[in-house]
Amino acid sequence: MKDLKHIHFYENLLEQTGNDLVLQEKEAGGVAVGYTCYYIPEVLLNCGKAFSVRLRAPNTGSLDISQYYMSSFICGYTRALFERAFEGGMNYLDFYASSDTCQQMVRVVENIRDLGLISNPDFGWGIIDAPLKVTPHGLRLYADQITEHILKPLSEKYGVDISDEAIRAAVNEHNEMCAIFEEISELRKEENPRITPREFHILSLVSYASPTSRILPYLRETLEDLRTREADAQNRWRARVVVVGSELDDYDFSEIMENARCYVAADRYCFGSIPGRQQIELNDDEPVLDQVCRFYLETNQCPRFMSQAKIMQRRETIRDLVREYNAEGIVIEQAKFCDFWGYERTLNAQVMQQEYGIPTLGIDREYVVRGSGQLATRMQAFVESLEIKRLQKGGGEK
Amino acid sequence: MKKKRGAADNLNDKTAIQKHREWRGGRDTAYDYLQWCRLWGILIKWAASHPVQNVKALFRYRWMFTYLTVPSFFDRVCEGHRGAALRGARNNLNYLASDVTKTLTTIFSADMHLHPGSKKAEELNRKIICVDELLPNLLGKGFPDCKMILFQEYPMYLPSLINQHSPVHYIEQSELYGLPADVCPLPSFEAGLAIEDDFPKIGCCMLTSNMPCDGSIMTTMLQERRIGLPSQVLNVPLRWKDEEVQGYAVEEIKSAISFLEEHTGCRFDWDALKEACEVWNRQNECKFEKWDYNRTDIPPHTGSSAWLYRIFEHQAVAGEPLALKNDLKVNKILRRQVAAGKCPKTIRHRAIIWNTPCNNYANFNNWLLNCWGIDSVCEMIDIHGTDLIDTSTHESMLRGLADHYQTATMRAHTKGGNEVILDALWEKYEEYNADMIIMFDQISCKGVSAINGLFEEGAMKRGIPMVRVRQDLMDPTSISRREMRNDINIFMQNVMNEEPVDASLVEFDDDQSW
Ligand code: SF4
Ligand code: SF4
Repeated sequence: MKDLKHIHFYENLLEQTGNDLVLQEKEAGGVAVGYTCYYIPEVLLNCGKAFSVRLRAPNTGSLDISQYYMSSFICGYTRALFERAFEGGMNYLDFYASSDTCQQMVRVVENIRDLGLISNPDFGWGIIDAPLKVTPHGLRLYADQITEHILKPLSEKYGVDISDEAIRAAVNEHNEMCAIFEEISELRKEENPRITPREFHILSLVSYASPTSRILPYLRETLEDLRTREADAQNRWRARVVVVGSELDDYDFSEIMENARCYVAADRYCFGSIPGRQQIELNDDEPVLDQVCRFYLETNQCPRFMSQAKIMQRRETIRDLVREYNAEGIVIEQAKFCDFWGYERTLNAQVMQQEYGIPTLGIDREYVVRGSGQLATRMQAFVESLEIKRLQKGGGEK
Repeated sequence: MKKKRGAADNLNDKTAIQKHREWRGGRDTAYDYLQWCRLWGILIKWAASHPVQNVKALFRYRWMFTYLTVPSFFDRVCEGHRGAALRGARNNLNYLASDVTKTLTTIFSADMHLHPGSKKAEELNRKIICVDELLPNLLGKGFPDCKMILFQEYPMYLPSLINQHSPVHYIEQSELYGLPADVCPLPSFEAGLAIEDDFPKIGCCMLTSNMPCDGSIMTTMLQERRIGLPSQVLNVPLRWKDEEVQGYAVEEIKSAISFLEEHTGCRFDWDALKEACEVWNRQNECKFEKWDYNRTDIPPHTGSSAWLYRIFEHQAVAGEPLALKNDLKVNKILRRQVAAGKCPKTIRHRAIIWNTPCNNYANFNNWLLNCWGIDSVCEMIDIHGTDLIDTSTHESMLRGLADHYQTATMRAHTKGGNEVILDALWEKYEEYNADMIIMFDQISCKGVSAINGLFEEGAMKRGIPMVRVRQDLMDPTSISRREMRNDINIFMQNVMNEEPVDASLVEFDDDQSW
């Protein structure tokens, strides 16, 4: 296939945590709000002049400093963020919106705060507590915590407009971006898809890591390009899978999948498009903040949710994605040292296989996956096992 | 080199079992012996009350064998103690033994694994409420016709203290199942029990929780699947210093009460709860008094028989009149010794012990004191649930209970922001007039490891000698007792340039010890 429009530009943007679009938006008076987790409703960080940046640490090398401050048994993502802040790579941040939902991640923001790692005199931070099940009083807690620790400081310290109108405007813009992703996502259902897993991963990442208003024009053009794009004549994919799991902001992972000729039909991981790139419907009856918060609580797929309803929702979501995206298998990936996904990966790899009858591969991985021979070998083997299963069922070539 | 003579001579090589009862002077040895006999009395009475059932339990549950080693465990925890420390320790431990044996009888009488198809056991189970062991069971006092049992306390937590090898098999099982080895051994041990089907089959419902941390959240999911009881999660907020989360915490307790009423068929009894909260407040006041004594130059009762009892009291017997009776008795003993200005131990250093202690080396405190003269005057694990419960209204009691949960063991410090665990350390250092910090580097406790650097820099800035002691909570295969001692030995010899109080204890082999 010919190169996707703007793909190289997107790749360049992903080389930096504070990319060119972020810096341009800051120049124009924007307030850069960093965040890492789906528990922080992205759309609310895009009210008024605020804009969200989902934090990454591209090109991470040595993690020695974070090892001293945070030990070596901590997830690579959190350590890489700490390291990047330590190196001065996050000084563009005005505010860090965090949630006390992962004990490792919350320590990053606390370390950054206590060690004064962001040399920006305006730097502020907020940490929310968030429920582990969806209940009316849980929603109240969630909405109040977001108001108290994120929205109010943004308004009081930085003059960000957090009115209902501003939230609705942010939702509208967010929905426009999501509509683009929904349409692109549909293309992944094609038998011989015209978008590759790597490309989709890049689009998804860039949409999280850049100000929505500035990335939107590019995404529109990319969608336009995709509408008329022709897939390669020969379908090179040997298998289709749904990837599920923890934080994954290194698109080399998708490249490894591609090299194994394994098509990622749906991406249900942190930094993926599910959840995160679905439109939010608002009504006129309820306070808009409550509606947004409910949406994020209900769609949240974090393994931290403990209620039976949520546990079942997570499994059924995966099953539904497999059906909807016509996949044959599931890959559950986990960042090493992540307690949540360590258990979720093990348990659900068995449940999805044994109870739902879907072939599932569970893997753990480093933050930086480039050059991981082990990962490549395991993918290869999984693809082969899916092919054998298909043959046994009489399905033949893909 | 000639071997130094001392306390280690009384320990058998590798097993560290005492060759003969420790000589502590006439009066103390006699007291210790009598209390040891009292312990045997408790154990024999328990064993004889339901002999068949108890023998069945021994064969059914691998962890039950651990309870056979309790006398040796109590001896280890009392090593070197004299005067009030010995008396406080023995009374605390014997109270613990009497309460635990009673609960074991309740558990085994209702256990469907031991009594398959038994109508009587089924009947008992209708009034047994299982709760996550890290959720203090004071709430259960509001159901006086029911028994609330800390579900993992008896197969997991206590065995991990009593016999260092008891977690190993279960942790291995969880790893064989595929669970990551880097998760804290506490949730791994629990997962292993569930995988092996080694939890007693009891109860009519289960209250789970997110206590104390991420690993525990996840192991709960696995356990629920295996146990199969109707369950509800009681979500205890994390940012507990934040007043705004308290409303939510109270709502969660109300919702838990409704759940329990529905499954037990009993109405919640507010008067019974009030009574229990008042007893708990008095228990807590007794603890405050003990802390006051430990702030003096003659701390009468420190170490694991104090912190272990505190954990048990807060989690399992809060609001229990017999526990209060024991507290009053122990406090009287301590008071007398302090008033007499006595302190029958060699104290060279007053240490603050921070982070979760090492269950597989509960008598580490004894070793510190006996070998190096380091007295653990204040320990993080000992300080939790320090607020009295206002019993004036239902709402105020619920608010108090919410606080009781949020400041439970481990939770009180590992959650609520890093300032909680950091600031409290520096405060306690001043408050207890300490001269060193022993920082447990619990390698798989990620929430605490992730602030390693801030601890180091904080101590350096304040000029406080701090030694890190590596441990893995309850997995002796990661870090052994010997390695823990070695961290201290190196520090005392090379940094503090000191000679031990008892050189025989510097290096000895207890790898096979329970
Ligand atoms: S990958 Fe896991 S440990 Fe790392 S930040 Fe996410 S939830 Fe936390
Ligand atoms: S030691 Fe740390 S990781 Fe283990 S249960 Fe306690 S708080 Fe959790």
